[in-house]
Formats: sequence, C-alpha cells, structure tokens
Amino acid sequence: MDLDYLSPEEREMLMALTLEQKIIQSKKVIRTALEKFGPKKLAVAWTGGKDSTLMLWLYRQVCNELGITIPACMFIDEGDQFEEIEDLVDRVKKEWNIPLVVVKNTDISSKAGAVGDIIIVNDLNERNRREIELLDFKDKTFPFEPESYLCNHLMKTVVMNKFIEDNELQAVSTAIRWDEQDARSHEEYFSPRHNPIPEHTRVHPILHFKERDIWDATFKYNIPFCTLYYKGYRSLGVKSNTSKSSNLPAWEQDLENSSERSGRGQDKEEIMSKLRDLGYM
Amino acid sequence: MRLFDKIKQKKISPKTVVIGLDGVPYSELLTRLIEKGRLKNMASLFGQGYFGRMEVCIPEISSVSWTSFMTGDQSGEHGIYGFMDLMPETYKMYFPNFLGLQKRTMFDELGSMGKRSVVINLPSTYPARQIPGVLVSGFVAIDLKKAVYPSSLAPELQTMGYAVDIDTRRGREDHDYLLQDLDATLKSRQNLADLLWERENWDLFMVVITGTDRINHFMWDAYADSGHARHADFIEYYEKVDSFIGSMYDKFINLPGSSEGINHFMMLSDHGFTKIRSEVYLNKWLQENGFLFFNQDPPASLEDIAPESRAFALDPSRIYINTKDRYPGGSVAKDDVEKVKNEIRSGLEELTFEDGSPVLRKILDRDEVFHGPFTRQGPDLVLLSHHGFDLKGRINSKSIFGLSGLTGMHTQDDAFFFSDKGKRVETIFELKELILKDYS
Repeated sequence: MDLDYLSPEEREMLMALTLEQKIIQSKKVIRTALEKFGPKKLAVAWTGGKDSTLMLWLYRQVCNELGITIPACMFIDEGDQFEEIEDLVDRVKKEWNIPLVVVKNTDISSKAGAVGDIIIVNDLNERNRREIELLDFKDKTFPFEPESYLCNHLMKTVVMNKFIEDNELQAVSTAIRWDEQDARSHEEYFSPRHNPIPEHTRVHPILHFKERDIWDATFKYNIPFCTLYYKGYRSLGVKSNTSKSSNLPAWEQDLENSSERSGRGQDKEEIMSKLRDLGYM
Repeated sequence: MRLFDKIKQKKISPKTVVIGLDGVPYSELLTRLIEKGRLKNMASLFGQGYFGRMEVCIPEISSVSWTSFMTGDQSGEHGIYGFMDLMPETYKMYFPNFLGLQKRTMFDELGSMGKRSVVINLPSTYPARQIPGVLVSGFVAIDLKKAVYPSSLAPELQTMGYAVDIDTRRGREDHDYLLQDLDATLKSRQNLADLLWERENWDLFMVVITGTDRINHFMWDAYADSGHARHADFIEYYEKVDSFIGSMYDKFINLPGSSEGINHFMMLSDHGFTKIRSEVYLNKWLQENGFLFFNQDPPASLEDIAPESRAFALDPSRIYINTKDRYPGGSVAKDDVEKVKNEIRSGLEELTFEDGSPVLRKILDRDEVFHGPFTRQGPDLVLLSHHGFDLKGRINSKSIFGLSGLTGMHTQDDAFFFSDKGKRVETIFELKELILKDYS
C-alpha cells in the first residue's frame, strides 16, 4: 500500500484493522518518516494527552528497533497548563528518557501572572510585535487569555513556527486521527504544510486509530496517561478553556487550525461591516 | 456511431453541474422576466426540464440556506442559525464559520466515494478547509489567502484579479460604481470557472453568483418600477448573468455523457426576494413591550442587556428567552419559559403596520422548526413575516418600523430550482440527497 495517497477504500480498510495490525502500520509510517527526514530534521509534538503519548511510545519502539536516538519532542507550554499534565510529562520524560524541549513564548508569559492580566503591546519584543501587527491588531493592550485568537497565535502557532525555523525542521509529527472530525478525514500520513507557516511536512502516524483503539493500546501496553482522564475528561486543553463539547483535544485542534483561528478575531470587524452593508447587525 | 460505442465501452461516470444564483426569486423575477422575453438562455433551458418554486430554511438567509444545501439538513443538525451567534452562555457575538460546521457536506460525501468537487463562491465556506477537490470560498470571505483550498491556488487568483465580492460599502451608495463592480465580479467568476473547468478533474462543478443578491438588496426599487431611471440597468445585469448561464450550459452539453442523459445540470437560489415596505426592529418591539431593557441608551451591543430582560432578538428573526440557565444575566426560570413565549407570541400576533397590515405570517416554536443535536443552541421562537416586512435584530433603532436604504428583502417561499433531468424538489433540504443519488 502506498503511504502517500490513500483511496477511501484503503482508509476504511486501515480503520478496520486489528489493534496489532494498526500498530504495525503506524510503525511503518514512523520508519518511513525517519528514513525520509532523519531524526534531526523531525520533531514529535507531544501534548501530554492520550493520543500523542501513544505516538511517542510508538516512536520509542521504532527507534529502539533501529538503534537510533529518539527525535526531539516538542512540548508547547501555553502558560495555563493543568498541573496533572505537567506531572505526566515529567514522569514519562524520566521513565522513557525523552529528549524533551519545552517551548514557550516567555516574552508574553513573563508579563502575565494569571489569565486575564493585561499585556501592553509596546513592552513586547520585536517578533511578538511584528506578529501582532500582522494580525492587524490595533489596540495598545490585550488580556492574557490563552484561547483568544491573539494569545492562541502568540502562545502556540508562533512558538511552533519559531521552533521549526530555529531547528530547520522538515517535519513535525502530530497525533491526529481520522475519526476525530470531518476536517481531518482527508489528511494523509504525510501532509505538506505551506503558508503562512514555515514549509514542512506533518507526519500523522496514528491517523487510522479510533478513540477506542487508543485506550485499548494504552491499557494493553501499560502506557502512562494523565490522571485527568480518570475524572471524566475525554480530551484535554488548557485549564481555563477545556471544552467538553468537542471530543477533540483542544491543543491539537488549534495546531491544525491555528492560522484560521488566529485570524478570526482580526476578521470580526471587517465581517461585521460587510454584514452591515447588507442590512444585518 | 463509433463515438457512441466508445462512450459505452468507457462507461462514463456521471458529472453534475450546479449553478447557484443567490437571492433570485422564482415568481417575483425569473418567471416574469422570462415571460417578457428577457433571459433567453434560461427561458430555453427551463423549457426542457423541471423549473419550479422551492422553499428554503428559516431564517431565510444565505449562511443558513447554503449550509442547509450542502449538508442536506436544518440548523438543529448543522448548527448554523445565522451569520452571527452568541458564544455559549454569553452575550458575545461570534461568527460561526466553516471550520466549525459539524455536519458532513456533500463534498465530503462525494470525497468518500472517490469523487472530486470544484466549488466556487459558495457562501458560508470560509475559511476554506480541505475538501476533496478545489474550494474558493464565498461570502463572508474577506481574505483571499484564507479562502482557497488548496492554498497553492491563491497567488494565481490574485494575479487573475479574482474578486470574492463587490465593494458593498461603496456600491450601496454609488449605483454607477455598483453596476461596474457587479460586472467585473461576474467576469472574474466566469474566468475562474472557465479555468478550473478545463484544468481540474472533477465530478461535481459548482459556482454561485452572489451579485444577484447584492443588486436585489440595493436596487430592487429600480426593478419593481419600470419607469425607474435604473430599471434597464437592473435588467441588463440579469441578462449578463443569463449569458453566463448560457456559456456554462454550452460547456455542459459538450461533456461526454450529457447528450445521453448521464450528467445532470441544476440551478437553484438560496432564497427569494421582494420589495421592502418596512424594516421591523424586533428588539425595539421587545423593549416597548417590557421584555427587554438595556443598561445604557443607546446600547453599544447586546452585552449592555439589563438583567431584568426576559427576551432579546438576533438577526433576522430569532427570538431568545433570557433564561437563567443559559445566560449570565438571565432572569427567566426554566418553568416560566413557556409563559414568556406565550406572552411574546400573543403580543406579536397583534403587531400591525401603520396601514393596519399584519406583519407576521408565522410565529414558530423552536421544536417545530429545528431538531437534532444543536437544537438547544437555536432560538426559542423564530418568525416568518409577510412579504414586505423585513425583520431585523438591530438593537439601537428609535422606532419599531423604519427604512435603512435597502429596497429589497429576502423571502422564504419563493426560491427556485431547475433540473435538466426533470427532477423535482420542494425544499432546499432535498438537494444533497438528489445530487449524491446520481453517483450511487
């Protein structure tokens, strides 16, 4: 089977595989990615959630088999993390000896002690001011709200883009799945990303896993998971804004849609004015 | 004969072409202009299939209607109730957009069958997301870069001078400019359609003309009055649209399989249009009747709502009860919702215009109109007006009735549908299934 393009029938077939067959398929994707990009030009995006922790486990398996070191694991600290996630990340890092890189927009977070604190645009560094300008954001201050369009862009997208640029990465591996939502049902194992982020390939080794498979694998192979799942959370995002209306981990949702989402607020005024011209509002 | 044999051997897979004409009414415009001998292409085309009136969703606005078209369902299933909605448990407005659409579209379904769609200027598909094929989003697409899938097409569109929409701000005031702009936009739509028709592999080709809705909003008075100085200009624009349809149909009929009836050519509008007698500001009515209060006068936004308020309205015809369990400043207990609804209902039933004409045709309960997982997000009451009364959710009007410069308004019961295969539908909700059926 070709890993680059999958027909609808092939996708269906892959999703119907047994757990063991699914793991074999994922490992094949990971091996191909490692061969194609090399472990230094590839990073694994790890959120501490159940999906990306399983993906990390698979990378570790493949790297052990190949006798190579595991690629860098990027963890984005949005400044409003659940302590339970931090605990899990610490624990797994130690147990599995993970080369963890925590990235954070410290220029922003150092100026905000808590969610809701006001940040003054002029106090920020040049990169952040430029990003704010690109979003066409005109106010002199903004509140620190990790899930707002502006902060989301600054705390996640910019941070990840900078990480890709600084390390000249060619690929980032994320743990999205076909069954999460329609927007992902057409993703491939290797999906190139262009504008407006630095050109790179997204590698998606566990696309064919269903939510149930994740839990089956987690329990079968004794993979650590965050205690919040015990408390009934099905997906985990930032503390101040974990939505239960979606089965999709908020962080991954943002990773996929970050450019569009970051644009939402910027567009609001312009959209409103267009609607007004047609008699709405 | 040889050609036919060849076609049979190859077993042609069906192709569908859908032309959307935003806001073009069946009886108030198309049948009239055709009777008068205008719109020659449509006249001859409509003579050879089914051409009829179609009902659309409530509220009858483009965002809801086109979403209903592409998902084959009503708002309770797809979650889009208007151009704007309130963020859950707040009075803050947001724009539900294409990324948040929860229901699979016909383009996704076709993709699952291995079929590719080319979709140009379909409203409510912004920001563009991946569809199996090519998508150029329509209204309210304000940034071309985010309106194109695959994004590699964006620079090409920029070079072509592709325009998503006319400059409504300027066109609304300056009708000379409006007509030029409508013309230019129609041409750029045609250029893009020509390009993608030839270059892409597609099974469904869809293009929507939205200039029709714009001219209807701004210049309906010119259409309705044959003595109007701009009457001829209005008709002339429609004749240009007619030429566009003629050129698309010419291409269609030359596709392999069209003459054998394998392919399907359809047209539709997402709502009708009629002349405005008066706009009706529902929030002003709610204020005057003791259901709605604001903390300041005039209110800057709905966030200025006072806690004693029992109801408020959103564009164009959605009424929400200000319940304790749903809103931070809610005042109505769960058990009193029905009582408040009944009070509003009996009040609105009595609402008449200055000449005594009744304003509302139907006052509908949420559960009569909407069903599905997103029903609870919907309005508690939704209204349908008599033609001529344009319902509005504005919050700062001085009186219940008034005009704002627009001369045309939407209608729910006078959209149109055409199928060259003679397929008949009554409502816009039936189209997704009809289109998919050709491929099964």
